[in-house]
Amino acid sequence: MGKALPRALLYAALTLTGLLTLIPLVWLVACSVKGAEDFFRYTFFPPIGRLSVANFVGLFEQMPFLRLLMNSLFVAGATVMVQLFFSSLGGFALAKYEFRGKKVIMVVMLATMMIPAQVLLAPLYELICRMKLADTYPGLIVPGAVSVFGMFLFRQSMMQLPDELLQAGRIDGCSEFGLYWRIAIPISRPMIGAFCLIAFMGTWNSFLWPQIILHSKLHFTLPIALNQLVGLQRQDYGVLMAGTLLSILPVAALFLILQREFLSGLTAGAVKG
Amino acid sequence: MEPKPPRSQGPSAWESVKDAFPFGIAPFLILLLTVVSGLFLLAVTVFHGPAEGKAGLSMWTFARQHYVAYEKARPSFERKYATRLDLQSVHGDAVTRRLRAAYWANLDLPDVVEVEISRAGSFFRGPEGGILFADITDFLTQPDPDHPQKRPLIDRIVKTRLSPYTHRGRIYGLPHDVHPVMLAYRADLFEQLGIDPNKLETWDDFLREGRRITVPEQRYLLNLSRSGSWAVEILLFQRAEPNSPAGYFDADGQLIMDNDKAVDLLTWYIPLVKGPGRIAADPGMFGQAFAKATQDGYTLCSFCPDWKTWGFQHDMPQLAGKMKLMPLPAVRKGGRRTSTWGGTMLGMTRHCRDRDLAWKLARHMYMNKDDLGERFRELNILPPFKDAWDNPAFHERRPYWCNQRLGTEYIRLADQTPPQYTSPFIQLAKSKMGSVVANCLSAYDPRRPAGLREVVRRELKAAADDIRRQMKRNPF
Amino acid sequence: MSRRRTGLFQLQHRYAPYLFVAPFLVLFCTFGLYPLVKSVVLSFFITSGPASRIFVGLDNFRFLFTDPDFGRACLNTAVFAAFSVFLQLPMSLGLALLLNRKDLRGRNLFRLCFFSPRLVGMVFVGVLFSLIFAARFGLLNVALHRLFGASLETDWLNTKPLIMPALVLTSLWMYVGFNMIYFLAALQNVDRTLYEAATVDGAGAWQQFWHVTLPGIKPVAIFVIILSTIGSFQLFELPYLMLGNSRGAGDAGLTIVMYLYENGFVTGDLGYASTIGWTLALGVLILAIGQMYFTGTWRKEP
Repeated sequence: MGKALPRALLYAALTLTGLLTLIPLVWLVACSVKGAEDFFRYTFFPPIGRLSVANFVGLFEQMPFLRLLMNSLFVAGATVMVQLFFSSLGGFALAKYEFRGKKVIMVVMLATMMIPAQVLLAPLYELICRMKLADTYPGLIVPGAVSVFGMFLFRQSMMQLPDELLQAGRIDGCSEFGLYWRIAIPISRPMIGAFCLIAFMGTWNSFLWPQIILHSKLHFTLPIALNQLVGLQRQDYGVLMAGTLLSILPVAALFLILQREFLSGLTAGAVKG
Repeated sequence: MEPKPPRSQGPSAWESVKDAFPFGIAPFLILLLTVVSGLFLLAVTVFHGPAEGKAGLSMWTFARQHYVAYEKARPSFERKYATRLDLQSVHGDAVTRRLRAAYWANLDLPDVVEVEISRAGSFFRGPEGGILFADITDFLTQPDPDHPQKRPLIDRIVKTRLSPYTHRGRIYGLPHDVHPVMLAYRADLFEQLGIDPNKLETWDDFLREGRRITVPEQRYLLNLSRSGSWAVEILLFQRAEPNSPAGYFDADGQLIMDNDKAVDLLTWYIPLVKGPGRIAADPGMFGQAFAKATQDGYTLCSFCPDWKTWGFQHDMPQLAGKMKLMPLPAVRKGGRRTSTWGGTMLGMTRHCRDRDLAWKLARHMYMNKDDLGERFRELNILPPFKDAWDNPAFHERRPYWCNQRLGTEYIRLADQTPPQYTSPFIQLAKSKMGSVVANCLSAYDPRRPAGLREVVRRELKAAADDIRRQMKRNPF
Repeated sequence: MSRRRTGLFQLQHRYAPYLFVAPFLVLFCTFGLYPLVKSVVLSFFITSGPASRIFVGLDNFRFLFTDPDFGRACLNTAVFAAFSVFLQLPMSLGLALLLNRKDLRGRNLFRLCFFSPRLVGMVFVGVLFSLIFAARFGLLNVALHRLFGASLETDWLNTKPLIMPALVLTSLWMYVGFNMIYFLAALQNVDRTLYEAATVDGAGAWQQFWHVTLPGIKPVAIFVIILSTIGSFQLFELPYLMLGNSRGAGDAGLTIVMYLYENGFVTGDLGYASTIGWTLALGVLILAIGQMYFTGTWRKEP
């Protein structure tokens, strides 16, 4: 099946699909650099002379973008850090130790993975309100730090650790925590990288829970603030697109830096899944 | 797998970092970002400083323009009453959620809060049937201590604007505005096409002209919605009569969105947006699409309450001197020539301890004649307090609107503004109405117009019954 | 090993695992289990605030099953889920097959390209595509107009029968590339010798696909199918954002979770919202278990 014509068709099909995939993103960029008057006149990019930063200017005028960016970064980063630490530690325990209640814990965790998260929305909201954590950063980060997915991921990957290595560590006088810190973690780096990116993406883009919990404008994360641009009174598409573009950039940047690790970690998870 | 580096060479900086933080480069990056952003936020919070002493009163508003106006008036209030005012600008949806959260956990409730008309209804139900807002009927009906010779405030307000905030005869909100609805039209195109606005006294006249000048896909006389409820609402409210209510709910909170008036209206409405007799298009009412439609002459007229005039002036400066306002055509000759769209109220929450001070705040923000005049110049919003209307600011000619006296025009219609009644289920009702419009539109077959009335009746009843089920079930 | 160390070691070794899982467990029980149990309890009440709740037993459930809005939500969600599994996944598989050639140049580039939509969060996709589907200037209408002379007026997101296709198209864009990665990994793990043996036996391309490829990727395929199903039944953010925080014309965009959100946070009845949530959870659980059973997962070793 290596004839020239099918190969050309193959490349054609792939290229076409690739273009179709990229077009909305290109349109996003184009819309964000078009001034309001040109919005309808040109489908994609306006001529070079008419490229405009008015949308970005308007964006910064209408919302404290830097503050929102920092909010998103802080919440996503802190959540990922906590998730990483707790899940890897717990996963390590589940992988390498036998203890009472282990089976129970695992079954319960598995069961809750099946249940859609939105079931928890209502009572969790009530709980957070009662704890006076509504509209605060901990109110976002702490509930988000629970990652059952992470626990299972790390358990899976740490089960591969050779036991002899751990024994050797113990003989050397390493504490149990030291085993985790010095041996398990450095070996699991690829999986950690993949997990971090997935977790970061998830929290960065999370909308529903923050929208419910956060009330004051200064605490908003980017998705919520951008959603408000499409209000009843004003619909400023150019500004909206500019904001969307800027919001996507951090995740895209992170991905570009870490893509190899990420894709391999993802496929490893799938094959064992 | 990271053995300690050989003691012979000192560990390089990178190695020691790796030692201390074994998780790898991705988490390290993320940690860095977290720390940087955390420091930023800390700095910003500290910079804003701790609250300067406990506020005497707290007030929330949701509209940015209102916030700007109240900020201006704040210093004079603080001076006059020797107290600090904590004024916050909260986004519209968040107001509802924060107020609701206050029920659940006794979070800080404001003393005074501005709420939009379609959201106010959901606070007319509360724990144990209580209402979130304080009863201000007495403030309105009792004579003003500062001007004992004048009639009580309630006689000097446009009465129908109290209707959405009245529950079982008691008033819970102070209206912010009147919001009469006129039609904004392209005066230049009217002239070109030979349409005389003075002759458009009834909807029949209007439709006749509409059919004459319609060019499919290019020019329509009116802007109406094909899937949302706002246009239907405006037209429905217009039809209200003292003994024959029209709208979503009546004064007792009963659902009337499927009564005869609604059926009549919708049956009349659908052929206006679909079929051979069509005279309206739906480019939306806001944003660039609307601006383009108006500029191109795609739709010549659109509903224009007082608050919308600002949008024209701001988004379509090139139409200055070409736009004009006319009253709505009446349903019958001599009938009501306006309707209403939107509204805001000011409420005192039950939590408020010093009601007298809160009332003084309300008066300061809402009823200061000079401030109101200034605000009208900026935002064109008509307040419901008739005493303020003799301020010359309301009667200036506006070049954008072909030198019409904007305020005078709206004031003339103010007393005709129809009442709107609210309910905890108002938002559900609005959403259902939008669906009804869309469903009737797709079911409508212009070749068999006779069947439309039945379809409309059926759809309205189904939607209303859905809501009634919910209303019956929930005692709160 | 000194004696002191042995004692301490044993102690550490025994208690370490408990300490290690403790942080996670504490959070999990507080923010996972407690709300879960609470929501089961809440689903038996009508509420409007913590002080105002009435116990109604199973009446919430009874009301739910005769609630036409819920019926509409179920229908919409089920249709969407069906398209996700039966349209989107074959497309992902097809793409993966195309990319699976050893001699393909630029494979990494293509892979990156197809994966990129996944980077854009659902929130932003909703916003972006609400503009793409807009009437008169949205990208889709303009493109269809230029290529096929279609009308510019098609208002996708405000026309009842067009809303679901718009949602499906958007989710195709988002997820085809993502699921393709999974399938690609699975394809690459299929034993090449099986293909050689099949060719020797005289099997054609289609037979090889059916008898070698499909069974080879079965575990991953099942994983992806179940994940897709669970995910699509939880659909909420996409229609909520594309339709501008509303249900859409004729309730065409109303999904089960959207209905949950409305009841819990707009109307304020958290009890009824919990009822909806648990009904959804049970339904999805049954569906997932059914899928696993019918594809023979239980017969293999876990």
